[in-house]
Order: sequence, then C-alpha cells, then structure tokens
Amino acid sequence: MGLDIRIPLGMIFLIIGGIMSAFGFYSRHSSLYDRSLGVNLNMTWGLIMFVFGLVMYVVGKRQKWQDDPVTPRPWERTGSKHGH
Amino acid sequence: MNLTHAANLTLIDWLIMLVYFAFVLGIGFALKRYMRTSNDFFLAGRSIPAWVCGLAFISANLGAQEVIGMGASGAKYGIITSHFYWIGAVPAMCFVGIFMMPFYYGSKARSVPEYLRMRFDEKTRALNAVSFAVMTVFSSGISMYAMALLIQTLGLFHGIIPDQYIFHLSIVLSALIVLGYIFLGGLTSAIYNEVLQFFLIVAGFAPLVWIGLRNVGGWDGIKHTLPVSMTHSWRGMAHASTNSLGVEWVGLAMGLGFVLSFGYWCTDFLVIQRAMVADSEVSARRVPLIAAIPKMFFPFLVILPGLIAVSVTSNMAGAGSGAGNQTSMTRPAGSAPVPLDEAHPHGIIPEKIDPISGHAVLSTDGTPVYNYDLAIPVMLLHYFPTGILGLGLTALLASFMSGMAGNVTAFNTVWTYDIYQAYINKKGTDAHYLWMGRMATIGGIVLSIGAAYAATSFNNIMDALQLIFSMVNAPLFATFLLGMFWKRTTGHGAFAGLVSGTGAALLHHGLSLPADATPGIHGAWIHLVHTYPSDMAQNFWTAIFAFTVNMVVTAVVSMATEARPESELVGLVYSLTPKPVETHLEWWQKPATLAIAVLVMLVALNLVFA
Repeated sequence: MGLDIRIPLGMIFLIIGGIMSAFGFYSRHSSLYDRSLGVNLNMTWGLIMFVFGLVMYVVGKRQKWQDDPVTPRPWERTGSKHGH
Repeated sequence: MNLTHAANLTLIDWLIMLVYFAFVLGIGFALKRYMRTSNDFFLAGRSIPAWVCGLAFISANLGAQEVIGMGASGAKYGIITSHFYWIGAVPAMCFVGIFMMPFYYGSKARSVPEYLRMRFDEKTRALNAVSFAVMTVFSSGISMYAMALLIQTLGLFHGIIPDQYIFHLSIVLSALIVLGYIFLGGLTSAIYNEVLQFFLIVAGFAPLVWIGLRNVGGWDGIKHTLPVSMTHSWRGMAHASTNSLGVEWVGLAMGLGFVLSFGYWCTDFLVIQRAMVADSEVSARRVPLIAAIPKMFFPFLVILPGLIAVSVTSNMAGAGSGAGNQTSMTRPAGSAPVPLDEAHPHGIIPEKIDPISGHAVLSTDGTPVYNYDLAIPVMLLHYFPTGILGLGLTALLASFMSGMAGNVTAFNTVWTYDIYQAYINKKGTDAHYLWMGRMATIGGIVLSIGAAYAATSFNNIMDALQLIFSMVNAPLFATFLLGMFWKRTTGHGAFAGLVSGTGAALLHHGLSLPADATPGIHGAWIHLVHTYPSDMAQNFWTAIFAFTVNMVVTAVVSMATEARPESELVGLVYSLTPKPVETHLEWWQKPATLAIAVLVMLVALNLVFA
C-alpha cells in the first residue's frame, strides 16, 4: 500500500512526545509531579516518545516504495520474490 | 455517576487526545485514493508487510475486553489471569501460523466463511457467515458501550456538556470516528490505525506500570502485600477450590488452552483477516507468530496494573487524599511491609456506585462491592499528572476503538462477500461491491450502536463476551480441525456438527450454573443440574462440551455421507496439499524456527511466574 505506516506513526509520536516534553519542561518545578512520586513523567517519557517518533519517521522516509501508487499483488509479480 | 474519580483534565490533555483523533481520521483520508477496487478495500490489496499485520493482529483483539476486563481480573484474581494470554493464546497463535495459514492464504479465500465454502459447501459457509456477523456486531457494540460508560464514569465531559448526555454523545462520537476512517480507507486504514493504537497503548501503559511498581516496591513488594494465590499463576491449579479462578488444570488446559483459544485464534475472521492480507504466504504464516511475542508480554501492561492497584496501601503516595509526603513515597529499605490480611484486598479500587441512585452498592451481607472494572482507569488518575494523563486516556480510548474497528472491518467483508455477493446479488460489478462494503460499514456501525444500548442490560462485559464466544467459537474449531486434517470430512458432516455443537453449548449453559449466581442469563434457564465453582469453570466446560459434540457428530455424519473427490480438495486439506516451499529461506527465517522460539519464551515466562 502506498503509505508507509512508519511515517504517520513517527509523526504522531513526534507531536505528542514534543507536546509532553515541552509541557514537562515548563512545569518542571510544579507540585504536579507529587502524584508520580516526584518523577517528571511528562519530560522524561515525552523525550523518549519523541526519539522513538524520530527514528520511525526517518526509517519510513528512507523507504522509497511508498511513492509507488500501485503496489503489485503477489500474483501479479512475475518471478520476483516479495520484498519492499 | 461516580464523580469522586472524575478526571481533572487540562488543555494539554485535550490537545493530546485531539492530535490522536486527527491522525486517526487523517490516515483514512490519506488512504482514500488507494481504494480502487473491492480487493483494496476488503483485503488491503494483499500487500501489507508481516510486522504491520502482526501488530494489527493483536491490536484488533485488544479491545475493551482486554484492557478493562484483564485489568479487572488482575485486581480480582491476580497473575493467574495471565493464563488468558499465555496458554490461552500463544500456543494457538503458533498453531494457526504454522499449520493453518497455508490453507487460508494459499486457497486465496477472501474470508474464513469463504474457505468453508471451498472446503465444505454453501450451507456451512452461510451458517458461519451469519453467526460470525452477529457476533462481530455484538463485540463492537460491547466495546462501544464500555467506552461510553467509562467516559461517563470518569466524568471526561463533566462541566462541558450536561451529564445526562455524556453516555449518548460518547457513543455517537466513537461511532462517527470509527465509521470515518473505515469508510475512507477500508481495511488498510483499520490496520494502520491498529498499529498506531498498539504503540500508543504501550506508550500509555508502560510508564504507568513503571511508576506503579516503584510505588509498591516492585514485584517483590506485590508478593509481600498480596496473598500467595494472587502472585503465582500455577499454584493451586490441582483443584478448583484452591485457586482464585475456580477451575482445575484440566478445565483450564482443555477449555481455555485448547477449545476456546484455538477456536478463537485459529478460526475467528477478525484476527485471521489481518494475516490474510500479508504480502506473501511466508509473511502470512509469520503474522500470528510475530503477534505472539508482544501478546506474551501484554499481561505486564494490562494485568499488572490491576495487581498494583490492589497493592497500593494507604501509607503510599497519593493514596487516599491527594499526594503523600516524600518519605512515604517509596518503601524504606529493610522495613517489612505489612501483608493485607483480607482475602481480597482492594487497594485503590473504588466502591461500586449505583448509577441511578448515586449510593454505594452493597452485597447481600452488607459489605461494599468494589468496581474492579475501574482498576486501570483509577491507576491512570492516581499516578499520572496532567499531560501524560492525556496520553494514558488516549491509550485507553485507542484500545476501545481498535476493538470496534476490527469487528467492523470483519463484518463488512463477511457481509459483502459471504452474504450479499453469495445470496443477494451475485452479478454485481466490482465497483458495486466496493460501494456495498462502504454501506456495510455504515450498517455495521448502526447495528453496533443498537448492540451497545442492548448491552446496558448486562452488568459484566466479560461474562457477555465469553458467553457469545462459547456458543459460536467453541464448536467451530472442531470443524476446521477435521476439515483441514481429515480429507474424509464432508459438508453435511461439518454442518450437522456445527449445529449440534452450538446446540450442545446452549444445552449445557441452560443446565448448569456458577456458584452464587441466580438462574437466568448466567445459566440454568432450562433446569439446574450442575453447579460450577465459578463462571469461568462453567464457560470452559460449555466450550469443552460444544467441541466434543461437534467432533463426534461431524465424524459420524461424514462417515455416513459421500466424500468429495480428492482432486477437489488440493490446497484445502493437509494430506493433499504440497508442503510450503521454504528452500529459499535460511533456517532462522523459517516460520517454524520463530514458533519454537516463541514457545520457549512462553515456557520460560510460565516458570518465572509459576
């Protein structure tokens, strides 16, 4: 199929991770984090998600086949083994 | 309404949820232009890589039943609940990948009922297609209902819209979103969203488990706090009376581990559809095996929070009124934790509140009843500050939507190919069937809404689902097992077996009752003959009866009727089909190697938590 799932997956993690870490940085001295045992979950987990998103996005972009509008069906591929 | 647990959401939480919903619909829009034929819409063009299908395979199953039901069972019964994942899923997933997928994928059937038509006959397909369609609508409706109820209980929209409309608005909103992305992008859209949901569920629950474990002193802390029976998965399984499930190991292994689990994972089109769209037969065989790996570790994400929720005691941070002080946040080293002396500790699990009167529900002896279904939601509210709370709630909503979408895509395919094309309009153009698929999506969602309102009369989601599974799925596996591995099985035999298997399930349910239940929906609606120690024991034995009756009747009727010529069964029956060619694969690329690795991991996990 024409769209590599890693691109939207990477993007959503970049955005949500970005929002969370920015908010975590902004609220780093707040009493908000008493609830999570003093751990700034927004910043730490947000950053982890951001990095994961970045990796997914970069890997997804490097695949070239996603620009191919018509992916041949297995039985339409003549003699070639599958692979993307 | 139980507003003592109302979520205190800020703008940032709403923003995160909004981003998720924008992506869900955005994927549908992005894929719309690839939906050229019915093949694209229903089968994703059979072009999806194995790992994507694998994650969709478990995500489609990760609906309300999983997250809420498993968290609740974890809180109620303990780590023993992980049997639903370990012996209750993984062996069956290995079996379907290694032995059954070559027939599903290789026969080019477009659905499981269509395979039944190829192998047996038209009536067997019709029976399976209709019962399956009804079941998907119910499952999707129950997911929808559970989601609306949760949104109402957590008071997500409290203060934004009047309380009495929250339930209805939640139903309509979830229906519109799922409808939107399936209508636009078909199965591909559902699969892509399921992958997104998989990663969001992991991202939302992993930090919850981590912070929860830190709070209760890790797994050792849980073991010290909770009764021994809750932290061991195999202890006390020799007798039904010595473990919290009320099932002995025979019932567990046969009922759950064999009949129910193989009946679900090996024959249910909802999951099989995800493997059928893989880009090659080898990929299709790998799909359930890839899915089995995260599946094995899901107990740590969905059952463990339940155990943590009942382990949190009042001297810990945040328990009771708001945040605790620094010194009590983690257990001081060396101090012996005090075990709870009750048989069923409840930790932070809230009491059940009557939604109409607003008062606490009391059991017959006057003690409070705890609402275990809220184990995971309460954990989210307990540990997550605003921001990551939005992520946690997104994960929860994602799980509900993936459960719904999985059922809707399976429904629209079975309706269009196995009911509409087979019996109503055989000569339509491909464009017409594509249009019908979109209409069936709307129809499926409308029926789900009906089922969601019908589900308001059931108190327990798990009970209702298990009941449906036992009746429909349990006898089914016998039909496939005989059909795929015994060439003598005939269409008449399969049909007679299926009907009598479901009949046996109904009869058994009508004659038996779990202890402490009243006759009615829980059983004994014909006459009370036998009482089981628990509803799970009843479910498992219902399944065992259904399976056995189906097997015997199918075999007997098959012997009495004429078998099909062997030439017609090539590619459909094990003994008449050439083994899959694997010479181009290295030993470590072969599906069998992956299956063995998965099973070794499974045994190791069981030993660790025995």
